[in-house]
Amino acid sequence: MKKNLPEFGKIVVPKERAVPFGAVTPAPESCQLLFMTGNWRQKRPVIDDKKCTRCLTCYMVCPDACWTFNEEEDRMQWNPSFCKGCQLCTHECPSEALTATPELDFEGGVVRLAKPF
Amino acid sequence: MSNERFLTGCSAAAQAAKMAEVEVICSYPIRPYTAIMMELAKMVANGELDAEFVHGEGEHAQLSVVLGASAAGARAYTGSAGVGVTYAGELYSPVAGGRYPLQMAIADRTLDPPGDFGSEHTDAMTFRDQGWLLGWACSPQEVFDNTLMNYRIGEDHRVMLPQMVCQDGYFISHIPDKVVLPEMSQVKEFLPPYNPPHPLHPERPVSHGPQIRPDQGAPMDAQRAAVFLEVPAVIREATADFNRIFGRKYDPFIEKHKMEDAEIAFFIMGAHSNTCRNTVDELRKKGVKAGMVRLRWVRPWPTHALAEAFAGVKAVASVETSTSYGGAMRGGNLVHELRASLYDLPDKERPLVTSFMAGLGGETIWLHDFEFMAKKLLNMIAEKRTSRYVYWIGFEAEGGKK
Repeated sequence: MKKNLPEFGKIVVPKERAVPFGAVTPAPESCQLLFMTGNWRQKRPVIDDKKCTRCLTCYMVCPDACWTFNEEEDRMQWNPSFCKGCQLCTHECPSEALTATPELDFEGGVVRLAKPF
Repeated sequence: MSNERFLTGCSAAAQAAKMAEVEVICSYPIRPYTAIMMELAKMVANGELDAEFVHGEGEHAQLSVVLGASAAGARAYTGSAGVGVTYAGELYSPVAGGRYPLQMAIADRTLDPPGDFGSEHTDAMTFRDQGWLLGWACSPQEVFDNTLMNYRIGEDHRVMLPQMVCQDGYFISHIPDKVVLPEMSQVKEFLPPYNPPHPLHPERPVSHGPQIRPDQGAPMDAQRAAVFLEVPAVIREATADFNRIFGRKYDPFIEKHKMEDAEIAFFIMGAHSNTCRNTVDELRKKGVKAGMVRLRWVRPWPTHALAEAFAGVKAVASVETSTSYGGAMRGGNLVHELRASLYDLPDKERPLVTSFMAGLGGETIWLHDFEFMAKKLLNMIAEKRTSRYVYWIGFEAEGGKK
């Protein structure tokens, strides 16, 4: 006795939209290019190299490891791809070398992007 | 030679977890499921079971610990009951979304408020839509069997989903019954070792549980839903293998009792089906063509199997041991999906369907309660219509008296 009942159909996820099994990804060596969060940012930290004492407080407090010390140039380097704009660094900087500046003030500010990266 | 024992549902679950050779166990006490962990703790302490036994600081921690263990490639086991099940609520979706086939034993219990220790299906039923396999056993033997079957089905690479293996608190968890324990060779033949595709490992580094982008949410939901389309075939295979290796006669999705020529039928799951089965036999002696369908899996819901089973039956009683306050029928949860499953049957074969709230707060559903339900079903057939969506056993003007 087989009834003529509706079926569940098939769910077709196009290859380009498919997410890896369980969202498991290869572990990043330095940064996770599969998930850039810089486009979350409303304000970005702008550094004044003259005020900066290279104390590395920003490096310590950044939850996304977006501040690194560039030894060759002897200055702090900011990673725009992952900085969410949380402003922890601008708050914690002991020498007031960092200013939270609205993304709209920049020509290529992430709030102007039509698509996330 | 098989080993026949007299075990409670909790002991049966612990014995099955031991024979499944679980590698990481995370406990936190809440009655009535606690007895499972007490047994497992003894087994680990006595050296009978080589597993890491972690005491969580709560149910949220329990689920987090087994998530990590499963990600690292360990067969993981945890459990809870009642408000413990709800306290872990945040973890159910990520455990399924991350595709961790860990197992959670649930000896069910009412939710607060106010605290009532009795059995009720509402705890696990509240989380039925998170992407876990879910079903109730009706005997300690079935608890044992479902524990092994769920690991086999959940860990299948076509599935890779977590499982809630439920038993009614006290009725099953604390009343001993005959359980046949198999040989380890049988278990090994049925249940291969857990072999996840991308375990955490220092030599093959991977990231688990990353934040996904907003545009990845919909495809992840669709992919999880698509897995559930594959699960029934895996359940069929695993049940057939289980029946062959262990000598059982399980139907993959539903137990049918005297349904061949049934005119009225009960739809039920869990412990109370035992009284229901007896009631069907008693009604048959009185000339009433009664039958019973017992649900073995709430997820995946066996839509087609139910439609086939109930086609041609005149009236069906959905026996509800969980609450759906304000729901479509103002009673329990099963009736919604039962009615939806039967909707597409031809007019002549579609039964009248009502529901009965029974066995709530740990109450027993007595033989005379089922007889009351049968009387209502016979009235529906005489009147050729369903006049009520739901009846509350013990709270109706004419019936349910103790």
